[in-house]
Amino acid sequence: MINWIVILPFISALVMGIVYLADTKAKRYFFYTAVGVGTPLVMTILSFVLISQLMNGAVTIHGTLFQWIDIGDFNISLAFMADRLSAVMISFITFIGMLIHIYAAGYMKDEEGYGKFFAYFNLFMGSMALLVLSDNPIMMFVGWELVGLCSYLLIGFYHQDRANIKAANKAFILNRVGDFGFIMAIAMLFVSLGNTGFTFESIQANIHTLSPEMMTLIGFLLFVGAMGKSAQIPLYVWLPDAMAGPTPVSALIHAATMVTAGVYMVARYSFLYVEVPDVGIFIATIGAASALFAAIIASYQTDIKKILAYSTMSQLGYMFIAVGLGAYSAGIFHVFTHAFFKALLFMGAGAVIIALHHEQNIFKMGALKKHLKLVYITMFIATLAISGIPPFSGFFSKDAILVAAFSSEHYVIWGIGTLTAGLTAFYMFRMLFTVFYSQEKADHTLQKLPSSMTYPLVILAIGSATVGLLGINEAYGGTSWINTFLALPDLKFHLSFAVEYMLTALNVTLALLGMGLAYKLFASHATEPETHTLWKNVVINKFYIDEIYEFLIVKPLLLISWLIAKVIDPRIFDGFINLNVWLYKKAGFVFGKLQNGKVRYYALYILTGVSAISYYMLMELGVR
Amino acid sequence: MSPNMFYLLASILFSIGLIGLVSRKNLFVLYMSIELMLSSVSLILATLSKVLGNADGSVMGLLIIGIIAAEAAVFLAMIVNLYRAKRTLDSDAFNSLREGAFND
Amino acid sequence: MLEVSIFAILALFMLGGSIAMITSKQTVFSAFGFLVTMIGLGGMFALLNSQFLAIAQIMVSVGAVVILSMLTILTVNAKEENLPKEPHKYKWIMFSILLVTPFTILLYKTLIILPDHFSTIGTINAKVVGKLLFSEWVLPFEILSILLLSAMVGAIVIARKKRKRPGKKERRA
Repeated sequence: MINWIVILPFISALVMGIVYLADTKAKRYFFYTAVGVGTPLVMTILSFVLISQLMNGAVTIHGTLFQWIDIGDFNISLAFMADRLSAVMISFITFIGMLIHIYAAGYMKDEEGYGKFFAYFNLFMGSMALLVLSDNPIMMFVGWELVGLCSYLLIGFYHQDRANIKAANKAFILNRVGDFGFIMAIAMLFVSLGNTGFTFESIQANIHTLSPEMMTLIGFLLFVGAMGKSAQIPLYVWLPDAMAGPTPVSALIHAATMVTAGVYMVARYSFLYVEVPDVGIFIATIGAASALFAAIIASYQTDIKKILAYSTMSQLGYMFIAVGLGAYSAGIFHVFTHAFFKALLFMGAGAVIIALHHEQNIFKMGALKKHLKLVYITMFIATLAISGIPPFSGFFSKDAILVAAFSSEHYVIWGIGTLTAGLTAFYMFRMLFTVFYSQEKADHTLQKLPSSMTYPLVILAIGSATVGLLGINEAYGGTSWINTFLALPDLKFHLSFAVEYMLTALNVTLALLGMGLAYKLFASHATEPETHTLWKNVVINKFYIDEIYEFLIVKPLLLISWLIAKVIDPRIFDGFINLNVWLYKKAGFVFGKLQNGKVRYYALYILTGVSAISYYMLMELGVR
Repeated sequence: MSPNMFYLLASILFSIGLIGLVSRKNLFVLYMSIELMLSSVSLILATLSKVLGNADGSVMGLLIIGIIAAEAAVFLAMIVNLYRAKRTLDSDAFNSLREGAFND
Repeated sequence: MLEVSIFAILALFMLGGSIAMITSKQTVFSAFGFLVTMIGLGGMFALLNSQFLAIAQIMVSVGAVVILSMLTILTVNAKEENLPKEPHKYKWIMFSILLVTPFTILLYKTLIILPDHFSTIGTINAKVVGKLLFSEWVLPFEILSILLLSAMVGAIVIARKKRKRPGKKERRA
């Protein structure tokens, strides 16, 4: 039964693809919607069945499709494993995925490539399911690559515009750079442990046979893969550009699911990371740096989707802080809550964009509070959640992370995290106030939003508000239910309740300060930031990172390619081959001249040969 | 009188025949050089017959003389035929089997 | 002593004749050189106690082969201008001498490995040869006769003038 969760979306993608290719212009709206939305619905139901089975006492559920590779020690089956971590991941992935599919049915209604879109979307769901549910690293890597592929396909969906294609390429290439590290890590794992079977369970059992240096290296290289997939420094530059894709794509892939694959991977390999805490500190540092960096940039962005993209990067930084410091459950919990409110934010942003006829600059929007009441309320809830204001879900998960940072005595990381929390509140409310409060800007002939776009917003808003309760820790009277359910090798923290309350108070105060500052600056009168000071200039241009990469990496590569293609290849290689051809022709010509048909000459050749041999025999062999 | 003299003579005759085969263009001289080579071999055989003390060498020499006769017949008939075809006794004139001969 | 001098004279004849054969321009002169060489060879055979072989040599090689070649030469009757022009004859000969020398030396050195002295044997006359020819060497003898037969037939076929068949033209139309 677990097999169906993965197989079904692939089958539906294939079917839709074939039907679409049969006639790309036909508007089979009902068919595509039925198959495209029905599939995630079935997947959601199946994953809830899985969760209930696990809650009733099963430890892991296995399912195997077939043996894929069988070469000596290298046995890879297309097999699935649902332990508690995978089950939690797959349930919220399918649930939120289903909601976003419903949303997309409304968003993409008039698009020409509607069928293609849903085929790709379902392909993505299948790939994500494969990634999460696979039981060996190779299959997870297959899923990893497939989600990268779907990301490429979907970002470049509006392929008529060249900039979108470039953005899609950028995403895929940066992903690939990260995958280089990932593949090396898997290869090293296999070399060390392959002879005892290569599934996660067998690796976990044998992990102690590796030397610490090997484990450090593997852990580091795995994180390199995560850097690319989850948009951390330095491989993050694709995420803002990826907003060129349709908004449902951004909601599903670049907010709720694909970008969290890196965090899931670290949690999956938690048995490795607990042995090498130094790599964990490195991960947490990168996460903290990315969080702060993204928050700073987001504070000056004007495109609504880009603000949300940087916000995603920032929140991912939080997740990596958590899993880096050993609080794996806190990280996964933040993944869980983040999926709800980030998807909601993106969908709301999409609704605003559609309503204003594809306007994306927040400073051209304003005072939409009265016109888009439902969107406003749901986005307000989501913004409260992301800012970490109780009792919304973001508060509990972010609080858990910061508590872990404080109690493991990494105060710098804790400090950065807290500061970023305040900044998060600031820029998110900046966005909210500028869009919904502020003064009237645009000519308000608003597009009517279909209900398929608004109902999911409501459901997600309810989720953002409530799922936090799953992870309430003891300080607030809860039982950390999700931590115990996930059963990951967390480091145990001992913090007195008093200190915890103080930290929480600090976080909430900072968040409220941010909110207040944003209100003061933007609620009544929002103007686009101008590049007066040097600092503003640098930040608005995203610290010029893209330009630096272009200069340091892209241009030298292009130069080398040009050199090889235009200079080395024609002259040296072709020249060498042409030289050979010329030599052969000349030699053939010369030898041809020897065959002149005259008997005498042939006899002369024979004589020459005989003479040479006799000379040799006389001189060298010393015939007496 | 030792056999070595005969051997020396036979070797020299053989090489003279070889030189003539390679150097001359005239078909008759070609033929006669070949005969010379054969004859030098029969000289060696006769010498050996005397060295070893039985008549086998002589018999072989006799058979070689028979072969010389047969060869003479065929060779001279061929020369006649070739002369009829090309009106020249130059062996270089018969060079159709050469590089580029069949290109047209 | 006597034998050595006879050998020397005969050897001179043979060498002179063969050199004349390969260097002269006129074909008939070459044929004469060949004749002299063959007679010398016959003498050599006699010196080596192979009486029958000597007579056979004179009869066949000289009397048949040389005469036949002279006959053919004179029948062909090539004019002076039809004889091949050999401008670099001596150059070619020099070059060939250079190439042939190692081979000759090799040949000679190989041959003197053979036993060094003559054994005493009576003349190998017709009786001895005949006995051997019809007992041990009968197979080569028979094959030689077949060879001669085929050579004869071949020679006749090759040298025949092609006569035009009378009815050919009608058949093509």
